[in-house]
Amino acid sequence: MGLLPHLVNGFALGLLFALIALGFMLILGLMEQINLAHGSLFALGAYFAYAIATPRLPLPPDMLQVWAAVPLGWRFTAAMLLAPVLVAPFGVVLERLMRRTYGRDPLYGLLLTFGVAMVIEELIRIVWGTRDYTLPVPRGISGGFMMLDLIWSTYRFWAAGFAIIAMAIVWLVIERTRFGALVKAGAHDSEIVQALGHDLERLRVWVFVLGTMMAAVAGVILAPVWGIRPHMGVDAVIPAFVIIVLGGVGSFWGAVLGGILVGMVVGLSGAYASEWSMLSMYLLLILVVTFRSRGLFGKKSVLEA
Amino acid sequence: MQAGKPVPTLTPAMIAIWLALATVPLWIEHVGLYQYLGVEILIFATYAMAYNLVLGHSGLPSFGHGAFFGLGAYGFGLAQLNLVADLWFCLGAAVVVASAGGAIVAAFISHRRGIYYSLLTIAFGQVFWFIAIKSHAITGGEDGLLKIARLPVRLGVATIDLTGNVSLFYFVLAVFVAVTLLLWRLVHSPFGRILKAIKQNETRARFVGYDVWRYKAAVLVLSAGLSGLAGGLFAMAQASAFPDVMSLHYSGYIVMMTLVGGGLVTFWGPVLGALVFLLARDVIGAFTTGWMLWFGLLFVALVMYKPEGLGGLFLRTPRKPVPPLAVASAPAE
Repeated sequence: MGLLPHLVNGFALGLLFALIALGFMLILGLMEQINLAHGSLFALGAYFAYAIATPRLPLPPDMLQVWAAVPLGWRFTAAMLLAPVLVAPFGVVLERLMRRTYGRDPLYGLLLTFGVAMVIEELIRIVWGTRDYTLPVPRGISGGFMMLDLIWSTYRFWAAGFAIIAMAIVWLVIERTRFGALVKAGAHDSEIVQALGHDLERLRVWVFVLGTMMAAVAGVILAPVWGIRPHMGVDAVIPAFVIIVLGGVGSFWGAVLGGILVGMVVGLSGAYASEWSMLSMYLLLILVVTFRSRGLFGKKSVLEA
Repeated sequence: MQAGKPVPTLTPAMIAIWLALATVPLWIEHVGLYQYLGVEILIFATYAMAYNLVLGHSGLPSFGHGAFFGLGAYGFGLAQLNLVADLWFCLGAAVVVASAGGAIVAAFISHRRGIYYSLLTIAFGQVFWFIAIKSHAITGGEDGLLKIARLPVRLGVATIDLTGNVSLFYFVLAVFVAVTLLLWRLVHSPFGRILKAIKQNETRARFVGYDVWRYKAAVLVLSAGLSGLAGGLFAMAQASAFPDVMSLHYSGYIVMMTLVGGGLVTFWGPVLGALVFLLARDVIGAFTTGWMLWFGLLFVALVMYKPEGLGGLFLRTPRKPVPPLAVASAPAE
């Protein structure tokens, strides 16, 4: 019973981890590119949301005043919807840069995105400085509530709910639309898809845009929980790749399950040794991958070559 | 490097590079730089050479090498503070601790390839980094392990003091010479040939009858040990050891240095890379605070247009436009 709050919080955290991991997985699974800049796009989403919600926008002062008078609930909603749209162009540029690495060893894609991650992180430092920011949460979903004689953070539950909605949308796009079918087919056999007359280049751009927007959405949702700082990108991308390897490259449900597993393990180990809780996910990863080399649901992919 | 042709132990290029490096303390201050930068460049050059044994010579994309460098730094510091304050003993401790770390990692990942290898090395790198940060009692946590002395070199007949940056530079240069000589011999030995075979086609190497994972494990341990040696030198140069060098960023920087210099195609590439990286840090950093922005952009451009690195510029006939790190089976566009 004493562990229940840790389990529940771990589960909620796991859903958020899964959300971060899904955007990463989308690009990895469908395009076989490791996007180390995923974390930086995640951070950009959080910073843009901060700029929209607080509001600190480069607008004429009177317009800004009108916007600042709008209730926080609307500004928060606008941030959650607009920030990903604003981050999306970064994904388009990134895809353009990565084109030259297609067909080469995947390591080059990884290195290129490492460079891009450095650039974005430095840009964030230049624009916003190194201080921490907090994204204000509307009154209705902030604070805490009592349940079973314990205090729970309301926003964490909302965040988990947002994460479920975002993941459901991605699942629908990948599994239930023509676009998703084409992209999956393209990952499986690009030549045939092109021979059938589909523009694979355009498809790839859209995959990147989708992955980028996922990163940004995750950044907005997590900003009130983790705070906003230049380093948040790295803090996010590492659990994401742990989850992907754990769940298996290219598997949607593997990423979700991996995320929840990591969240629960971090939550549970936090109950016993809070200082060391983040270590547990690496140990979980090493344990699982030692026995199942492709993770829980992984398929054979070009990345092993 | 062609088969059948014996490779001399000493080459003119090697001696020229050593001699050129030996003159650095004479002029470095006259060009507006400082003596310590030379020490730093040599340490990172040693580290990058050790790292390239894995990346360039064996095609194993380790992304967590910072852990071994850091283990060496802590090994040096802890041996000095808790055991015996003797230079040779402490450097030995640095190598042993880092090799042990390498052996643990190697035991888990030597059956993996490609990106999975990278991802697991990242995971292990993070484990070591995390432990270093959280073990306050042993490593000092984020405050670092301080008060590491620059121990004198005891040679039996004479003792050389290393507290000055110039004398430290020459000591580090001696280590660098030894390490490069060792690596040169190793890369051109039968063992090095097998590494090359594994780099070109691991499956084929296995079918020819080599126990591939033993070689992959051995080369990682060796590279970890030498990286640890560089880490030990760094702890001495900085007079302290910090967990930063074990972070993902620093592990990424060493990959960058090696790649920028052309470690994939030339033996000396990593030295050039370390030089360019640290010079860029100081020179670009002198003009702007965001030097990482500019260096990151340069790096991105390099990966896009010149993936074999700057060292590739000096090669008259590059055999292949893009050096494959493993079996290049990725589908073409």
